[in-house]
Amino acid sequence: MKRVLGVALGVLTAIGGFLDIGDLVTNAVVGSRFGLSLAWVVLVGVVGICLFAQMSGRVAAVSGRATFEIIRERLGPKAGLANLSASFLINLLTLTAEIGGIALALQLASSVAPDLWIPVAAFAVWLVIWRVKFSIMENVTGLVGLCLIVFAVALFLLGPDWSKLAEQAFAPSVPGSESVGAYWYYAVALFGAAMTPYEVFFFSSGAVEEKWKKKDISQSRINVLVGFPLGGVLSVAIAACATIVLLPRGIEVSSLSQIVLPVAEAGGKLAVAFVIVGIVAATFGAALETTLSSGYTLAQFFGWSWGKFRKPAEAARFHIAMIICLLVGLGVLATGVDPILVTEYSVVFSAIALPLTYLPILIVANDKQYMGDARNGRVTNAFALVYLVIILVASIAAIPLMILTGAGA
Amino acid sequence: MTPRRKHFDASLPELEPAERYAGQVLDARLHLLDRQVLDRDDVPVQVVDDLELSDVPFGETIPAGTPAPVIASILSGPVLSTRMFGGRPPSSRFHRVSWDRIAEIGIAVRLGVAGSTLDVTWVERWVRDRIISRIPGGRHDPE
Repeated sequence: MKRVLGVALGVLTAIGGFLDIGDLVTNAVVGSRFGLSLAWVVLVGVVGICLFAQMSGRVAAVSGRATFEIIRERLGPKAGLANLSASFLINLLTLTAEIGGIALALQLASSVAPDLWIPVAAFAVWLVIWRVKFSIMENVTGLVGLCLIVFAVALFLLGPDWSKLAEQAFAPSVPGSESVGAYWYYAVALFGAAMTPYEVFFFSSGAVEEKWKKKDISQSRINVLVGFPLGGVLSVAIAACATIVLLPRGIEVSSLSQIVLPVAEAGGKLAVAFVIVGIVAATFGAALETTLSSGYTLAQFFGWSWGKFRKPAEAARFHIAMIICLLVGLGVLATGVDPILVTEYSVVFSAIALPLTYLPILIVANDKQYMGDARNGRVTNAFALVYLVIILVASIAAIPLMILTGAGA
Repeated sequence: MTPRRKHFDASLPELEPAERYAGQVLDARLHLLDRQVLDRDDVPVQVVDDLELSDVPFGETIPAGTPAPVIASILSGPVLSTRMFGGRPPSSRFHRVSWDRIAEIGIAVRLGVAGSTLDVTWVERWVRDRIISRIPGGRHDPE
Protein backbone atom coordinates (compact mmCIF):
# COMPACT_ATOMS: atom_id res chain seq x y z
CA MET A 1 0.00 0.00 0.00
CA LYS A 2 2.81 2.34 0.95
CA ARG A 3 4.48 1.57 -2.35
CA VAL A 4 1.32 2.34 -4.33
CA LEU A 5 0.99 5.63 -2.50
CA GLY A 6 4.63 6.38 -3.21
CA VAL A 7 4.11 5.78 -6.93
CA ALA A 8 0.90 7.85 -6.96
CA LEU A 9 2.65 10.71 -5.19
CA GLY A 10 5.58 10.53 -7.59
CA VAL A 11 3.31 10.58 -10.64
CA LEU A 12 1.20 13.49 -9.35
CA THR A 13 4.36 15.44 -8.52
CA ALA A 14 5.72 14.80 -11.99
CA ILE A 15 2.51 16.11 -13.60
CA GLY A 16 2.51 19.24 -11.48
CA GLY A 17 6.25 19.68 -11.86
CA PHE A 18 6.28 19.29 -15.63
CA LEU A 19 4.77 22.68 -16.37
CA ASP A 20 6.71 25.89 -15.85
CA ILE A 21 6.44 29.46 -17.11
CA GLY A 22 8.05 28.42 -20.41
CA ASP A 23 5.38 25.81 -21.12
CA LEU A 24 2.56 28.11 -20.00
CA VAL A 25 3.61 31.07 -22.14
CA THR A 26 4.78 29.17 -25.22
CA ASN A 27 1.70 26.96 -25.38
CA ALA A 28 -0.65 29.90 -24.97
CA VAL A 29 1.19 31.97 -27.59
CA VAL A 30 1.23 29.04 -30.00
CA GLY A 31 -2.45 28.27 -29.39
CA SER A 32 -3.47 31.87 -29.99
CA ARG A 33 -1.56 32.05 -33.29
CA PHE A 34 -1.34 28.56 -34.75
CA GLY A 35 -4.23 26.73 -33.09
CA LEU A 36 -3.42 23.12 -32.40
CA SER A 37 -1.32 22.75 -35.54
CA LEU A 38 1.84 22.49 -33.38
CA ALA A 39 0.44 19.99 -30.86
CA TRP A 40 2.63 17.29 -32.43
CA VAL A 41 5.73 19.15 -31.20
CA VAL A 42 4.55 18.73 -27.60
CA LEU A 43 4.26 14.99 -28.24
CA VAL A 44 7.79 14.84 -29.71
CA GLY A 45 9.16 16.91 -26.81
CA VAL A 46 7.45 14.83 -24.12
CA VAL A 47 8.76 11.54 -25.51
CA GLY A 48 12.23 13.10 -25.63
CA ILE A 49 12.20 14.39 -22.07
CA CYS A 50 10.89 11.03 -20.81
CA LEU A 51 13.71 9.25 -22.60
CA PHE A 52 16.54 11.44 -21.35
CA ALA A 53 15.18 12.24 -17.87
CA GLN A 54 14.90 8.57 -17.00
CA MET A 55 18.32 7.93 -18.55
CA SER A 56 19.98 10.61 -16.43
CA GLY A 57 18.09 9.38 -13.35
CA ARG A 58 19.30 5.84 -14.01
CA VAL A 59 22.91 6.99 -14.43
CA ALA A 60 22.69 8.92 -11.14
CA ALA A 61 21.05 6.01 -9.29
CA VAL A 62 23.57 3.42 -10.47
CA SER A 63 26.78 5.43 -10.38
CA GLY A 64 25.95 8.10 -7.81
CA ARG A 65 27.32 10.69 -10.27
CA ALA A 66 25.10 13.57 -11.38
CA THR A 67 24.92 14.91 -14.92
CA PHE A 68 27.43 17.73 -14.77
CA GLU A 69 30.16 15.66 -13.11
CA ILE A 70 29.78 13.35 -16.08
CA ILE A 71 29.81 16.16 -18.63
CA ARG A 72 33.11 17.43 -17.22
CA GLU A 73 34.59 13.96 -16.98
CA ARG A 74 33.64 12.97 -20.52
CA LEU A 75 34.12 16.22 -22.42
CA GLY A 76 37.25 17.42 -20.61
CA PRO A 77 37.82 20.90 -19.21
CA LYS A 78 37.58 23.00 -22.38
CA ALA A 79 34.39 21.60 -23.89
CA GLY A 80 33.07 21.12 -20.38
CA LEU A 81 33.57 24.78 -19.54
CA ALA A 82 31.98 25.91 -22.81
CA ASN A 83 29.06 23.66 -21.97
CA LEU A 84 28.89 24.98 -18.42
CA SER A 85 28.87 28.60 -19.60
CA ALA A 86 26.04 28.00 -22.07
CA SER A 87 23.94 25.83 -19.75
CA PHE A 88 24.49 28.10 -16.79
CA LEU A 89 23.53 31.29 -18.65
CA ILE A 90 20.40 29.73 -20.11
CA ASN A 91 19.49 28.37 -16.71
CA LEU A 92 19.93 31.86 -15.26
CA LEU A 93 17.64 33.23 -17.98
CA THR A 94 15.03 30.58 -17.12
CA LEU A 95 15.41 31.35 -13.40
CA THR A 96 14.78 35.03 -14.11
CA ALA A 97 11.71 34.16 -16.15
CA GLU A 98 10.31 31.91 -13.41
CA ILE A 99 10.70 34.55 -10.69
CA GLY A 100 9.06 37.09 -12.97
CA GLY A 101 6.30 34.52 -13.53
CA ILE A 102 5.64 34.16 -9.79
CA ALA A 103 5.39 37.94 -9.50
CA LEU A 104 2.99 38.21 -12.47
CA ALA A 105 0.75 35.48 -11.04
CA LEU A 106 0.71 37.16 -7.63
CA GLN A 107 -0.14 40.44 -9.36
CA LEU A 108 -3.22 38.79 -10.89
CA ALA A 109 -4.31 37.72 -7.42
CA SER A 110 -3.56 40.95 -5.60
CA SER A 111 -3.29 43.77 -8.17
CA VAL A 112 -0.04 44.78 -6.45
CA ALA A 113 2.52 45.68 -9.12
CA PRO A 114 4.94 42.84 -10.02
CA ASP A 115 7.95 45.07 -9.25
CA LEU A 116 6.95 44.82 -5.61
CA TRP A 117 6.33 41.09 -5.74
CA ILE A 118 9.66 40.22 -7.40
CA PRO A 119 11.90 40.68 -4.32
CA VAL A 120 9.34 38.88 -2.16
CA ALA A 121 9.25 35.95 -4.59
CA ALA A 122 13.04 35.72 -4.78
CA PHE A 123 13.37 35.83 -1.01
CA ALA A 124 10.75 33.11 -0.61
CA VAL A 125 12.60 30.93 -3.13
CA TRP A 126 15.84 31.39 -1.21
CA LEU A 127 14.17 30.66 2.13
CA VAL A 128 12.75 27.37 0.87
CA ILE A 129 16.12 26.35 -0.55
CA TRP A 130 17.83 27.33 2.68
CA ARG A 131 15.52 25.59 5.11
CA VAL A 132 13.07 23.12 3.55
CA LYS A 133 13.83 19.47 2.94
CA PHE A 134 14.17 18.35 -0.66
CA SER A 135 11.30 15.84 -0.69
CA ILE A 136 8.82 18.23 0.95
CA MET A 137 9.76 21.03 -1.43
CA GLU A 138 9.26 18.76 -4.44
CA ASN A 139 5.98 17.22 -3.33
CA VAL A 140 4.26 20.40 -2.16
CA THR A 141 4.97 22.46 -5.29
CA GLY A 142 4.16 19.48 -7.52
CA LEU A 143 0.84 18.70 -5.85
CA VAL A 144 -0.34 22.32 -5.66
CA GLY A 145 0.73 22.72 -9.27
CA LEU A 146 -1.93 20.14 -10.13
CA CYS A 147 -4.42 23.04 -9.85
CA LEU A 148 -3.44 23.71 -13.47
CA ILE A 149 -5.74 20.83 -14.37
CA VAL A 150 -8.33 23.59 -14.44
CA PHE A 151 -7.09 24.29 -18.00
CA ALA A 152 -8.34 20.85 -19.01
CA VAL A 153 -11.61 21.39 -17.16
CA ALA A 154 -12.03 24.78 -18.84
CA LEU A 155 -11.54 23.13 -22.22
CA PHE A 156 -14.57 20.92 -21.59
CA LEU A 157 -16.64 23.79 -20.18
CA LEU A 158 -15.92 25.86 -23.29
CA GLY A 159 -17.60 23.11 -25.32
CA PRO A 160 -15.46 23.42 -28.43
CA ASP A 161 -15.98 21.85 -31.83
CA TRP A 162 -13.91 18.74 -31.07
CA SER A 163 -13.67 17.54 -34.65
CA LYS A 164 -12.18 20.86 -35.73
CA LEU A 165 -9.60 20.72 -32.95
CA ALA A 166 -8.73 17.14 -33.81
CA GLU A 167 -8.34 18.06 -37.46
CA GLN A 168 -5.87 20.82 -36.54
CA ALA A 169 -3.91 18.51 -34.26
CA PHE A 170 -3.78 15.42 -36.47
CA ALA A 171 -3.56 17.02 -39.92
CA PRO A 172 -1.35 20.00 -39.09
CA SER A 173 -0.85 22.79 -41.59
CA VAL A 174 0.50 26.32 -41.35
CA PRO A 175 -2.45 28.72 -40.79
CA GLY A 176 -2.95 31.14 -43.68
CA SER A 177 -2.31 34.19 -41.50
CA GLU A 178 1.17 33.01 -40.49
CA SER A 179 4.44 32.51 -42.33
CA VAL A 180 6.17 29.14 -42.62
CA GLY A 181 9.25 30.56 -40.86
CA ALA A 182 7.23 31.65 -37.82
CA TYR A 183 5.59 28.22 -37.69
CA TRP A 184 8.93 26.46 -37.47
CA TYR A 185 10.35 29.06 -35.09
CA TYR A 186 7.57 28.30 -32.64
CA ALA A 187 8.01 24.57 -33.25
CA VAL A 188 11.60 24.96 -32.01
CA ALA A 189 10.47 27.12 -29.07
CA LEU A 190 7.83 24.59 -28.03
CA PHE A 191 10.38 21.77 -28.29
CA GLY A 192 12.82 23.76 -26.14
CA ALA A 193 10.10 24.46 -23.58
CA ALA A 194 9.27 20.76 -23.24
CA MET A 195 12.88 19.57 -23.13
CA THR A 196 14.53 22.38 -21.09
CA PRO A 197 17.99 21.17 -20.01
CA TYR A 198 17.55 22.19 -16.38
CA GLU A 199 15.01 19.41 -15.95
CA VAL A 200 17.74 16.86 -16.61
CA PHE A 201 20.29 18.54 -14.31
CA PHE A 202 17.64 18.71 -11.65
CA PHE A 203 16.37 15.19 -12.16
CA SER A 204 19.78 13.55 -11.94
CA SER A 205 20.92 15.69 -8.99
CA GLY A 206 17.57 15.01 -7.31
CA ALA A 207 18.26 11.29 -7.64
CA VAL A 208 21.49 11.83 -5.71
CA GLU A 209 19.71 14.08 -3.19
CA GLU A 210 17.08 11.42 -2.48
CA LYS A 211 19.77 8.72 -2.45
CA TRP A 212 18.22 6.56 -5.14
CA LYS A 213 19.65 3.11 -5.51
CA LYS A 214 19.24 0.60 -8.30
CA LYS A 215 15.96 -0.66 -6.87
CA ASP A 216 14.40 2.82 -7.11
CA ILE A 217 14.90 2.96 -10.86
CA SER A 218 11.61 1.24 -11.70
CA GLN A 219 9.61 3.67 -9.58
CA SER A 220 11.32 6.68 -11.13
CA ARG A 221 10.57 5.23 -14.54
CA ILE A 222 6.85 5.05 -13.73
CA ASN A 223 6.90 8.62 -12.38
CA VAL A 224 8.44 9.89 -15.58
CA LEU A 225 6.60 7.72 -18.09
CA VAL A 226 3.15 8.48 -16.61
CA GLY A 227 3.68 11.91 -15.07
CA PHE A 228 5.42 13.74 -17.91
CA PRO A 229 2.95 12.66 -20.65
CA LEU A 230 0.04 13.79 -18.47
CA GLY A 231 1.90 17.07 -18.00
CA GLY A 232 2.13 17.18 -21.79
CA VAL A 233 -1.65 16.71 -22.04
CA LEU A 234 -2.05 19.76 -19.80
CA SER A 235 0.29 21.69 -22.12
CA VAL A 236 -1.93 20.85 -25.07
CA ALA A 237 -5.02 21.82 -23.03
CA ILE A 238 -3.48 25.27 -22.48
CA ALA A 239 -2.88 25.61 -26.22
CA ALA A 240 -6.41 24.37 -26.97
CA CYS A 241 -7.98 26.90 -24.59
CA ALA A 242 -6.05 29.68 -26.34
CA THR A 243 -7.13 28.26 -29.72
CA ILE A 244 -10.82 28.44 -28.81
CA VAL A 245 -10.94 31.80 -27.05
CA LEU A 246 -8.00 33.90 -28.27
CA LEU A 247 -7.37 32.80 -31.86
CA PRO A 248 -10.78 33.77 -33.33
CA ARG A 249 -10.58 37.22 -31.73
CA GLY A 250 -7.02 37.81 -32.88
CA ILE A 251 -5.74 38.34 -29.34
CA GLU A 252 -1.97 37.94 -29.17
CA VAL A 253 -0.64 36.70 -25.86
CA SER A 254 1.69 39.23 -24.27
CA SER A 255 0.72 38.95 -20.61
CA LEU A 256 -0.28 36.37 -18.06
CA SER A 257 -3.83 37.71 -17.84
CA GLN A 258 -4.39 36.73 -21.47
CA ILE A 259 -3.19 33.20 -20.71
CA VAL A 260 -5.84 32.80 -18.00
CA LEU A 261 -8.55 34.58 -20.00
CA PRO A 262 -10.02 31.34 -21.45
CA VAL A 263 -10.24 29.85 -17.97
CA ALA A 264 -12.03 32.94 -16.70
CA GLU A 265 -14.50 32.78 -19.57
CA ALA A 266 -15.21 29.11 -18.96
CA GLY A 267 -15.28 28.84 -15.19
CA GLY A 268 -15.55 32.31 -13.70
CA LYS A 269 -13.91 33.50 -10.52
CA LEU A 270 -13.46 30.09 -8.89
CA ALA A 271 -11.59 28.72 -11.91
CA VAL A 272 -9.40 31.83 -12.01
CA ALA A 273 -8.55 31.34 -8.34
CA PHE A 274 -7.51 27.76 -9.08
CA VAL A 275 -5.45 28.72 -12.08
CA ILE A 276 -3.60 31.46 -10.18
CA VAL A 277 -2.74 29.08 -7.35
CA GLY A 278 -1.61 26.58 -9.97
CA ILE A 279 0.57 29.09 -11.82
CA VAL A 280 2.16 30.34 -8.59
CA ALA A 281 2.95 26.75 -7.55
CA ALA A 282 4.26 25.78 -10.98
CA THR A 283 6.49 28.83 -11.39
CA PHE A 284 7.62 28.69 -7.77
CA GLY A 285 8.50 25.02 -8.15
CA ALA A 286 10.38 25.73 -11.36
CA ALA A 287 12.16 28.70 -9.73
CA LEU A 288 13.36 26.34 -7.00
CA GLU A 289 14.47 23.80 -9.59
CA THR A 290 16.36 26.32 -11.73
CA THR A 291 18.01 27.96 -8.71
CA LEU A 292 19.14 24.57 -7.46
CA SER A 293 20.24 23.62 -10.97
CA SER A 294 22.49 26.67 -11.15
CA GLY A 295 24.15 25.53 -7.92
CA TYR A 296 24.29 21.92 -9.07
CA THR A 297 25.97 22.67 -12.39
CA LEU A 298 28.66 24.92 -10.86
CA ALA A 299 29.35 22.65 -7.89
CA GLN A 300 29.52 19.52 -10.02
CA PHE A 301 31.84 21.09 -12.57
CA PHE A 302 34.27 22.42 -9.97
CA GLY A 303 33.90 19.50 -7.56
CA TRP A 304 32.41 21.44 -4.63
CA SER A 305 30.37 19.85 -1.91
CA TRP A 306 26.68 20.21 -2.86
CA GLY A 307 23.19 19.07 -2.02
CA LYS A 308 20.20 20.00 0.07
CA PHE A 309 20.65 16.85 2.13
CA ARG A 310 23.64 18.60 3.71
CA LYS A 311 23.48 21.52 6.10
CA PRO A 312 24.10 24.80 4.21
CA ALA A 313 27.38 25.16 6.15
CA GLU A 314 28.52 21.83 4.73
CA ALA A 315 27.92 22.97 1.16
CA ALA A 316 28.97 26.59 1.52
CA ARG A 317 30.05 27.42 -2.04
CA PHE A 318 26.95 25.69 -3.43
CA HIS A 319 24.69 27.92 -1.33
CA ILE A 320 26.60 31.13 -1.96
CA ALA A 321 26.43 30.44 -5.72
CA MET A 322 22.65 30.10 -5.56
CA ILE A 323 22.30 33.30 -3.54
CA ILE A 324 24.35 35.16 -6.16
CA CYS A 325 22.26 33.70 -8.99
CA LEU A 326 19.04 34.83 -7.31
CA LEU A 327 20.50 38.32 -6.87
CA VAL A 328 21.52 38.43 -10.54
CA GLY A 329 18.01 37.35 -11.54
CA LEU A 330 16.59 40.12 -9.36
CA GLY A 331 18.95 42.59 -10.98
CA VAL A 332 17.82 41.62 -14.47
CA LEU A 333 14.15 41.93 -13.49
CA ALA A 334 14.83 45.28 -11.80
CA THR A 335 15.70 46.74 -15.22
CA GLY A 336 11.98 46.46 -15.96
CA VAL A 337 12.35 43.83 -18.66
CA ASP A 338 9.11 41.98 -19.45
CA PRO A 339 9.25 38.47 -17.85
CA ILE A 340 7.07 37.08 -20.67
CA LEU A 341 9.67 38.25 -23.19
CA VAL A 342 12.48 36.73 -21.11
CA THR A 343 10.52 33.46 -21.11
CA GLU A 344 10.10 33.45 -24.88
CA TYR A 345 13.84 33.87 -25.38
CA SER A 346 14.77 31.37 -22.68
CA VAL A 347 12.88 28.50 -24.36
CA VAL A 348 14.54 29.17 -27.73
CA PHE A 349 18.01 29.36 -26.17
CA SER A 350 17.22 26.14 -24.32
CA ALA A 351 16.61 24.49 -27.67
CA ILE A 352 20.01 25.71 -28.88
CA ALA A 353 21.80 24.22 -25.85
CA LEU A 354 20.03 20.84 -25.91
CA PRO A 355 22.76 18.76 -27.63
CA LEU A 356 25.34 19.93 -25.06
CA THR A 357 23.41 18.22 -22.29
CA TYR A 358 21.96 15.19 -23.96
CA LEU A 359 24.97 13.82 -25.83
CA PRO A 360 27.19 13.24 -22.74
CA ILE A 361 24.31 11.58 -20.89
CA LEU A 362 23.80 9.19 -23.77
CA ILE A 363 27.52 8.36 -23.87
CA VAL A 364 27.77 7.63 -20.17
CA ALA A 365 24.52 5.65 -20.12
CA ASN A 366 26.38 3.23 -22.38
CA ASP A 367 29.61 3.16 -20.32
CA LYS A 368 30.34 -0.18 -18.73
CA GLN A 369 32.49 1.18 -15.91
CA TYR A 370 29.74 3.54 -14.77
CA MET A 371 26.66 1.51 -15.51
CA GLY A 372 27.60 -2.19 -15.32
CA ASP A 373 24.63 -4.22 -16.54
CA ALA A 374 22.22 -1.27 -16.19
CA ARG A 375 23.49 0.12 -19.49
CA ASN A 376 21.11 1.33 -22.20
CA GLY A 377 19.33 -1.39 -24.15
CA ARG A 378 19.24 -1.38 -27.93
CA VAL A 379 15.72 0.05 -28.12
CA THR A 380 16.61 2.95 -25.82
CA ASN A 381 19.74 3.65 -27.83
CA ALA A 382 17.83 3.57 -31.11
CA PHE A 383 15.29 6.08 -29.78
CA ALA A 384 18.05 8.20 -28.26
CA LEU A 385 19.93 8.38 -31.56
CA VAL A 386 16.78 9.45 -33.42
CA TYR A 387 16.28 12.14 -30.78
CA LEU A 388 19.86 13.26 -31.01
CA VAL A 389 19.25 14.02 -34.69
CA ILE A 390 16.03 15.92 -33.89
CA ILE A 391 17.77 17.84 -31.10
CA LEU A 392 20.67 18.75 -33.39
CA VAL A 393 18.36 19.95 -36.17
CA ALA A 394 16.33 22.07 -33.72
CA SER A 395 19.50 23.47 -32.22
CA ILE A 396 21.05 24.40 -35.55
CA ALA A 397 17.83 25.81 -36.98
CA ALA A 398 17.00 27.96 -33.94
CA ILE A 399 19.21 30.98 -34.56
CA PRO A 400 18.64 31.28 -38.35
CA LEU A 401 14.89 31.00 -37.71
CA MET A 402 15.10 33.63 -34.99
CA ILE A 403 16.87 36.07 -37.31
CA LEU A 404 14.70 35.24 -40.33
CA THR A 405 11.39 35.71 -38.53
CA GLY A 406 12.47 38.53 -36.20
CA ALA A 407 11.92 36.23 -33.18
CA GLY A 408 8.61 34.96 -34.49
CA ALA A 409 6.97 38.34 -35.07
CA MET B 1 51.65 18.03 -17.41
CA THR B 2 52.40 18.51 -21.06
CA PRO B 3 51.03 15.39 -22.70
CA ARG B 4 51.39 16.50 -26.28
CA ARG B 5 55.05 17.18 -26.97
CA LYS B 6 55.35 16.79 -30.70
CA HIS B 7 59.00 17.48 -31.42
CA PHE B 8 60.97 14.28 -31.53
CA ASP B 9 64.62 14.20 -32.36
CA ALA B 10 65.09 11.43 -34.91
CA SER B 11 68.81 11.12 -34.13
CA LEU B 12 68.17 9.98 -30.56
CA PRO B 13 68.22 6.24 -29.92
CA GLU B 14 64.79 4.67 -29.62
CA LEU B 15 63.33 4.48 -26.15
CA GLU B 16 62.87 1.12 -24.57
CA PRO B 17 59.24 0.07 -24.21
CA ALA B 18 57.73 0.78 -20.81
CA GLU B 19 58.03 -1.86 -18.16
CA ARG B 20 54.99 -4.06 -17.74
CA TYR B 21 53.28 -4.10 -14.39
CA ALA B 22 50.85 -6.53 -12.89
CA GLY B 23 47.60 -5.01 -11.63
CA GLN B 24 45.34 -2.15 -12.71
CA VAL B 25 46.64 0.05 -15.51
CA LEU B 26 45.31 3.59 -15.37
CA ASP B 27 45.10 5.99 -18.24
CA ALA B 28 45.69 9.45 -16.78
CA ARG B 29 43.25 11.13 -19.14
CA LEU B 30 40.60 8.45 -18.99
CA HIS B 31 40.67 7.44 -15.33
CA LEU B 32 42.11 10.35 -13.39
CA LEU B 33 41.81 13.77 -14.96
CA ASP B 34 38.46 15.50 -14.40
CA ARG B 35 37.22 12.85 -11.99
CA GLN B 36 35.40 13.86 -8.84
CA VAL B 37 37.45 13.47 -5.66
CA LEU B 38 35.53 12.38 -2.54
CA ASP B 39 36.86 12.27 0.99
CA ARG B 40 36.49 9.29 3.29
CA ASP B 41 32.95 10.42 4.25
CA ASP B 42 31.85 10.79 0.60
CA VAL B 43 31.99 14.60 0.74
CA PRO B 44 33.16 16.11 -2.57
CA VAL B 45 36.55 17.77 -2.19
CA GLN B 46 37.65 18.80 -5.68
CA VAL B 47 37.90 17.55 -9.23
CA VAL B 48 41.26 16.22 -10.43
CA ASP B 49 42.17 19.44 -12.28
CA ASP B 50 45.69 18.29 -13.11
CA LEU B 51 48.44 15.93 -12.01
CA GLU B 52 51.91 16.78 -10.71
CA LEU B 53 54.65 14.36 -11.70
CA SER B 54 57.85 13.83 -9.77
CA ASP B 55 60.66 15.97 -11.12
CA VAL B 56 61.56 15.41 -14.77
CA PRO B 57 64.61 17.46 -15.80
CA PHE B 58 63.71 19.64 -18.75
CA GLY B 59 66.03 20.10 -21.74
CA GLU B 60 68.62 17.63 -20.45
CA THR B 61 69.47 14.20 -21.66
CA ILE B 62 68.07 11.60 -19.31
CA PRO B 63 70.57 8.82 -18.67
CA ALA B 64 69.43 5.30 -19.36
CA GLY B 65 68.16 3.43 -16.35
CA THR B 66 66.64 6.48 -14.64
CA PRO B 67 63.43 5.40 -12.86
CA ALA B 68 60.23 6.59 -14.55
CA PRO B 69 58.54 9.65 -13.00
CA VAL B 70 55.65 8.96 -10.63
CA ILE B 71 52.55 10.99 -9.82
CA ALA B 72 53.38 13.13 -6.81
CA SER B 73 50.03 14.80 -6.21
CA ILE B 74 46.67 15.70 -7.68
CA LEU B 75 46.15 19.39 -8.24
CA SER B 76 43.20 21.71 -7.99
CA GLY B 77 42.38 25.36 -8.49
CA PRO B 78 43.94 27.86 -10.92
CA VAL B 79 45.92 25.11 -12.62
CA LEU B 80 42.68 24.21 -14.43
CA SER B 81 42.83 27.40 -16.49
CA THR B 82 46.41 26.67 -17.56
CA ARG B 83 45.34 23.22 -18.67
CA MET B 84 42.74 24.86 -20.88
CA PHE B 85 44.62 27.87 -22.17
CA GLY B 86 48.26 26.81 -21.79
CA GLY B 87 51.04 28.15 -19.61
CA ARG B 88 52.13 26.95 -16.21
CA PRO B 89 51.63 28.60 -12.81
CA PRO B 90 54.67 28.67 -10.51
CA SER B 91 54.66 25.49 -8.49
CA SER B 92 54.31 27.50 -5.29
CA ARG B 93 50.76 28.27 -6.45
CA PHE B 94 49.74 24.65 -6.80
CA HIS B 95 46.91 23.43 -4.59
CA ARG B 96 48.01 19.87 -3.94
CA VAL B 97 46.61 16.72 -2.47
CA SER B 98 49.46 14.30 -2.02
CA TRP B 99 49.12 11.05 -3.96
CA ASP B 100 49.54 8.93 -0.84
CA ARG B 101 46.20 10.28 0.48
CA ILE B 102 44.34 8.40 -2.23
CA ALA B 103 42.59 5.26 -1.07
CA GLU B 104 40.72 4.09 -4.15
CA ILE B 105 40.29 4.96 -7.81
CA GLY B 106 36.96 4.10 -9.39
CA ILE B 107 34.30 6.25 -11.04
CA ALA B 108 35.40 8.73 -8.38
CA VAL B 109 38.76 9.16 -6.69
CA ARG B 110 38.41 8.42 -3.01
CA LEU B 111 40.67 9.83 -0.31
CA GLY B 112 41.48 8.13 2.96
CA VAL B 113 41.26 11.34 4.98
CA ALA B 114 38.59 13.91 5.87
CA GLY B 115 38.41 16.72 3.30
CA SER B 116 38.32 19.42 5.97
CA THR B 117 41.90 18.55 6.99
CA LEU B 118 43.22 19.35 3.51
CA ASP B 119 44.59 22.68 2.33
CA VAL B 120 42.67 22.52 -0.96
CA THR B 121 39.35 23.06 0.83
CA TRP B 122 40.32 26.45 2.25
CA VAL B 123 37.94 28.38 -0.04
CA GLU B 124 35.05 26.20 1.08
CA ARG B 125 35.96 26.74 4.73
CA TRP B 126 36.42 30.48 4.21
CA VAL B 127 32.95 30.86 2.60
CA ARG B 128 31.46 28.69 5.34
CA ASP B 129 33.01 30.53 8.28
CA ARG B 130 32.73 34.08 6.94
CA ILE B 131 29.34 33.97 5.22
CA ILE B 132 27.15 30.89 5.31
CA SER B 133 27.46 30.09 9.02
CA ARG B 134 26.56 33.65 9.90
CA ILE B 135 23.20 33.55 8.13
CA PRO B 136 20.54 32.23 10.54
CA GLY B 137 19.80 28.56 9.97
CA GLY B 138 23.05 27.94 8.13
CA ARG B 139 24.22 25.34 10.61
CA HIS B 140 20.93 23.43 10.78
CA ASP B 141 19.62 20.54 8.73
CA PRO B 142 16.81 21.47 6.34
CA GLU B 143 13.40 20.48 7.73
